[in-house]
Order: sequence, then structure tokens, then C-alpha cells
Amino acid sequence: MESIPLTWEEVARVYGRKIYNFAYRLTGNPDDAHDLVQEVLLRVRRGLASYQPGSFEGWLWRITRNAFLDDIRKRNRRPTTPLPDEVDRWGRASSESADVEYARISLGDDIQKALLQLPIDFREAVVLCDVVGLSYEEIALAAAIPIGTVRSRIHRGRRMLKELLA
Amino acid sequence: MIHRSELTSAYLDGELTASEHTELAEHLSGCGKCSAEMEQLQRVRSAVRSLPVLELPAGIVPEADPVVVPLRRQKGLWTGVAAAVVATVIAVAALVTPDPGPVSVDELSSRFGARVSLDPAFGPAKVVIPPSGVVGE
Repeated sequence: MESIPLTWEEVARVYGRKIYNFAYRLTGNPDDAHDLVQEVLLRVRRGLASYQPGSFEGWLWRITRNAFLDDIRKRNRRPTTPLPDEVDRWGRASSESADVEYARISLGDDIQKALLQLPIDFREAVVLCDVVGLSYEEIALAAAIPIGTVRSRIHRGRRMLKELLA
Repeated sequence: MIHRSELTSAYLDGELTASEHTELAEHLSGCGKCSAEMEQLQRVRSAVRSLPVLELPAGIVPEADPVVVPLRRQKGLWTGVAAAVVATVIAVAALVTPDPGPVSVDELSSRFGARVSLDPAFGPAKVVIPPSGVVGE
């Protein structure tokens, strides 16, 4: 995990799907997720030249969340596009049929809607932990916050989800 | 009794210190309230973790550049190939350029070599044209 990928194409190959899932679960919108992945890969491509050996994952997820936060600041809008309206856009990209993809998305529809209602800091912490699978230490590094804050954000985020899903 | 529900999420994630873990485990054995809360949080945690993993849409990753990419993988082996590619580019450029005038090979070499090696988008790749006899060192 600590070795430096040699090219941004390798970063795309190894981490692209994770970045996409992170982006999708945070925005709830495939187009926004698509744009975010491309923005992250662009920043990785520019940044690799000056990358200093260290925690590559910490570096990558810092870039990813910064791109996401920049996008939110830029647009200053609430990303709450209902999922069913977006479904047919998946047909272009997936090897599965639109119906199968629809079923896959619908499966987590309630959870996705609940996630989108969390304050952004809590949503981000929960998604990095439970969707991306980062440790608390990695999340602290990516978000530049103390581990105690990570712990508290994940806990409070889950408690909110519990209420929303009840 | 001091409830320790704020530790339950980290407990589920295996992110407590050994002493916190022991403390919470002891507390849970005698506290129905915290046990119930942890059970609910466990369900929430599982639900989020069971969200379907979405595949990366096709075309989201831009195409790789066929010349620059191999240069960065194996420096020793590909340096020779790079030199050959650059030399070919120079040769072709020299052939297809109408009336090139008194442009030296060195000038073309630096012009084309610089275009590849100084492109900041491709990071620290360097195209090195080795002295004759050490190609593929």
C-alpha cells in the first residue's frame, strides 16, 4: 500500500472503482460521481510528479475529498437528485442490463437517501469507513483531523442513520 | 452507571484500545441500554457496508499515451526503446518536413526530446538518449 504507483493510469486502475463508489455515495448522483473521478485523476496526474514518498493512500484520499469539497463550494448546491431518474444513464456504461443495474441501485436506495441527509462531515467519515474501508488512522490523515474526531463523526453519523432508517 | 455508548462504533470497527475494549465489554455485559444501541448500530454499519459496489463506468479513465507510458515503467529496458522512438520521430520529422533548411539533428533532437520529457502532465518521466554503445544498459 505504501509503494508509489508509477503512473496515474495505474492509480486509475487500482483505485478508480473505490473513488467512484466514494463519490457516488457522497453525491448520490452518477454524473457528479463521474465528474469527480475525472477531476481526481487529473489532480493525481498533475500531483504525481511532486509526490513525496509517504502514505500514498492518505495522499490520494486527501486529493479525493478536497476535489469533492471544492466541487461543493463551487456549485453550492445540495446533491439530492432522486436515484430512479438517473437509472437509465447507467445503461451506457455498464456491461449489465439497465434492469439489473436498477435492481442493484434500488437495493441500497433507502440507505443512500439517508446518507445524503447526513451533514457532510459525518457522511464523509461514514463513507470512508464503511464504503471505502479506510481505518480511522487513514481517515484522520485524509481529512486532516484527529483520530478522536474521526471516531466521534463515525459514531454520530451512524446514530443519525439509525434514526433516519428507523 | 456511566454509559459508554460513544465507544460502541469504534468497538464494532475494532478501533478501541485494549483497555477501552475491556472496559466496554464489561459494561455491555451489565447494560441492556448500551447493548441494544450497539446492536442497532451494528445493523446500520452492516447496511452501509452491504451497499452494492458500483462498477466504474466505461470511458471514465482517459486513454493512456502509447509513447510516454512505457517509458516510466522500466527505465533500464525502455530507455533504449525510448531512444529508438525519439530517433524514429526525428528521422520521420526530418523526412516529412519540406525544405528543412539548415536544421541540425541536435536541434531536432532537443526539440522533440524536450516535448516528451518536459510535459508536466506525465510526471518525472525523462527521455534519455544514451551515448552510442550503451543502448538498453
